[in-house]
Amino acid sequence: MSTMRLPSGTYHENYTQDHAWWQTRFVWIRMIALFAILFIVFPYFAGGYELSVANRIGYTILCALGVQLLIGFAGQVTLGHIAFVAIGAYTSALFTLRVNEATPILKDLGLTYPISVILAMLVAGLWSMLFGLPSARVKGFYLIMTTMAAQFITVDFIITHYISRVGYRGVSFSLPPGTIRFGPWDIRTDLEQYFLMLILVILGILFVGNLMRTRIGRAWIAIRDNDIAAEVLGVNVVRYKLLAFFVAGALAGAAGSYANAVSFTVSPEQFGFGESLWLVGVVLIGGIGSNYGTVFGAIFLTLLTEMVQPTLKFILPDLALKTSYVKDMIFGLAIIVFLLLEPKGLAYRLQRLKDYVHLWPFSY
Amino acid sequence: MEFFLQLVITGIMVGSIYALVALGWTLIYKSSGVLNLSMGELTLTGAYVSLTFYQWGLPFPIALLFTLIVGLVLGLVVERVFLRPLIGESVLTVIMVTVGISFFLRGALGFIWGTDTLVFTPPVFPSQPVQIGPIVIGQVYIWSFIAAIVLLLIFVGFFKYTRWGLAMQATADDEMAALSIGISAKFVYAMAWAIAFMAAGVGGALLGNINGVNVSVGHLGLLVLPAVVMGGLNSVPGAIVGGLIVGLLQNFAGGYLDNLTIAGISIIPGGAKEMFPFFAMTIALLFKPYGLFGWQRIERV
Repeated sequence: MSTMRLPSGTYHENYTQDHAWWQTRFVWIRMIALFAILFIVFPYFAGGYELSVANRIGYTILCALGVQLLIGFAGQVTLGHIAFVAIGAYTSALFTLRVNEATPILKDLGLTYPISVILAMLVAGLWSMLFGLPSARVKGFYLIMTTMAAQFITVDFIITHYISRVGYRGVSFSLPPGTIRFGPWDIRTDLEQYFLMLILVILGILFVGNLMRTRIGRAWIAIRDNDIAAEVLGVNVVRYKLLAFFVAGALAGAAGSYANAVSFTVSPEQFGFGESLWLVGVVLIGGIGSNYGTVFGAIFLTLLTEMVQPTLKFILPDLALKTSYVKDMIFGLAIIVFLLLEPKGLAYRLQRLKDYVHLWPFSY
Repeated sequence: MEFFLQLVITGIMVGSIYALVALGWTLIYKSSGVLNLSMGELTLTGAYVSLTFYQWGLPFPIALLFTLIVGLVLGLVVERVFLRPLIGESVLTVIMVTVGISFFLRGALGFIWGTDTLVFTPPVFPSQPVQIGPIVIGQVYIWSFIAAIVLLLIFVGFFKYTRWGLAMQATADDEMAALSIGISAKFVYAMAWAIAFMAAGVGGALLGNINGVNVSVGHLGLLVLPAVVMGGLNSVPGAIVGGLIVGLLQNFAGGYLDNLTIAGISIIPGGAKEMFPFFAMTIALLFKPYGLFGWQRIERV
C-alpha cells in the first residue's frame, strides 16, 4: 500500500510494484517465515489443546472480519453480528444434512459442504442486508438498536422457536463424521480443522484487504468519515451501506459454516447476544479500521480468556466452578481498560513500536 | 374483552417500571450524550442488592432506600472512574465502555449470587390477587405501579422545581450556555449517572418482586432500549410513554401472539413476548426515524 513507509533506496517504477502487498525483501522474508510457522512449525509441535485454541482464534477472526468491515471501514456500528453467523451455520448444516440424504452422488463427490458454504454466505449476506435496510433512513444509536433487534429476532425468536424445531432436535443438527468434506478431503481431526481455518482466514483477510483498495472500499471509507459529504461527492450511500451489510453478512456466513466443521453440532446457545458484543470488543481492542487489528484482538482476547481457567485453578482452586463469571468480568475489564488507556487498539501500538524501531536511535 | 383489559392493566403496570428505568437512561443521554447499554445489568444489580438487604431482615421500604443509596454511590463511582475520562471520545468508544461495565457487572453478580432464581422470602406483597370489576390483578403489580408512579413524580418534580434539576435541564439544552452561567457540567454528569443508577436499582427491585431475581431481570432491563428509542432519545415524556408502550406491547404479544395457532397449525410457537418490542421498534424506526418525541437533527457537512 502506498501509505506503507519504505526504507530509503526503495523505488517503485510501475504501478504493479506500488500496489504490491509485500514491497521489500524484508517483508517477503517475514511473511514467508510467518507462513512457514503457521503451516508447518505450529501444527508439527502443537498438541490437541493448542490446536483447538488456534481454531477458536481463527473462528473469532472470521466472525470479526465482518464486524471490522462494518464498524471500522463502513462506519456502521453493529451489535448483532453473531446472528448472521448463526444463519450461516444453520443454512450450512441443514443443507448438508438434507442434500446428503437426497442425493448420494454429491455426498460421494464431497461437494455438499463446499456448496453449503457458498449458500450459507449468500443467505447470511441477504439476511444481513435485510437488517441493514433501516440504515438507509436511520443512523447512529437508532441504527445500533436495529442491529440489536436483528440479534433478538434472528437468534432468540426465529432460530430458537422455528428452525431448531425442524425434525427432532439433536438429530437434525448434529453432523455425523464424514459429512464435512471438501472433495476427497475429509475434515475430522483438530489438525484438519486447523488447516481449513487457516485457508479461510487467509482468504477472508485477502478478500477484505483487496476490497478496501477498490472503488467500493473507498466509498465505504468516505461514508464512514462523513456520509453526507460522501453523498455530495456522488457516492450512492444507501447502495454502498447495503453492500457493506451484505459482504459482512457473507463473511459471517463463512464463519458459521466453519463453526460446523469444528463443533459438528449447531445450537442456538452458541450464538447469544454476549457473543455479538464480544466480537465488537475484539475489533475495538485490536484496533478499528485495520485487518491487523482484527487478528490481534482475536488472539489477545481468546488467549486472555483461555488463561483464566488455569490461572484460577492455580491461585484459587475453590473458585474453579465460577470460571465463566470470571471470564465475563475479565472481558469487561479488558474492554474498559483498553478504551481508557489505549483507545486506538493493539494495531496502533504495534505501528508506534515499528516507527520507534525504524527511527531508532533518533526519534525524529 | 376482559382478557384485553387484563392485558392493558398489566401492561401499564409493568410498563411504569420500564418507564422509571427509561427515565434514568434518557437522563444520562440528555445531559452527557452517553448511550448506555449497561441498563439491564444495572437493573439486575438493583434487584440483587435490594433482595440481599431484604433477606437481612430489613423491611422492604428500608431495603429500597438502601438500594437507592447503593445506586447513588455506584453511579458516582462509575461516572468518575470510567466515564469522565471519555468525555469527547467517539460514540462507539463510550458505548463499548458501558458494554464493558455490563459484562463486568454480569460476571460479578453471577460470581456473588450464582444463577439460581432467588425470591423475596417472605413475599413482600400479599399474594392474594385483587378483583377490580372483571379483572384480576396480583397485588405485586399494583404496589409496583404505585411505587413506580411515586418515584416518577419525585423525579419529574426534581427536574422542574429544584436547583439541581434545573441545572441538569439547562445542561441538556445547551451545554455551553449552561457552563457560561456557572453550572458545573461535571456535577451534572455525576448527578445524571447517580439518578440513572438509582432508578434502575428501584426498577430492578420491583421487577424482582414480580418474577423472582435471576438473569432474566437483566434482559427485562434491556427492554428499556426499545422504550427510549420509540419515545425518542432525548425526551423525558418520550421515555415515560415509550416505557408504557413497551409494557403494553409485551403483554399483548404474550397474550395474543404466543402459542398462536391458526387452523391447527402453530404459527408462533413461543418467544414472541421477549422479541416483539424489538420487532415493533425496528418497524417504528422505518417510519419515524427519531422516535415519537425525539428531536430531528439537521446535519450539515
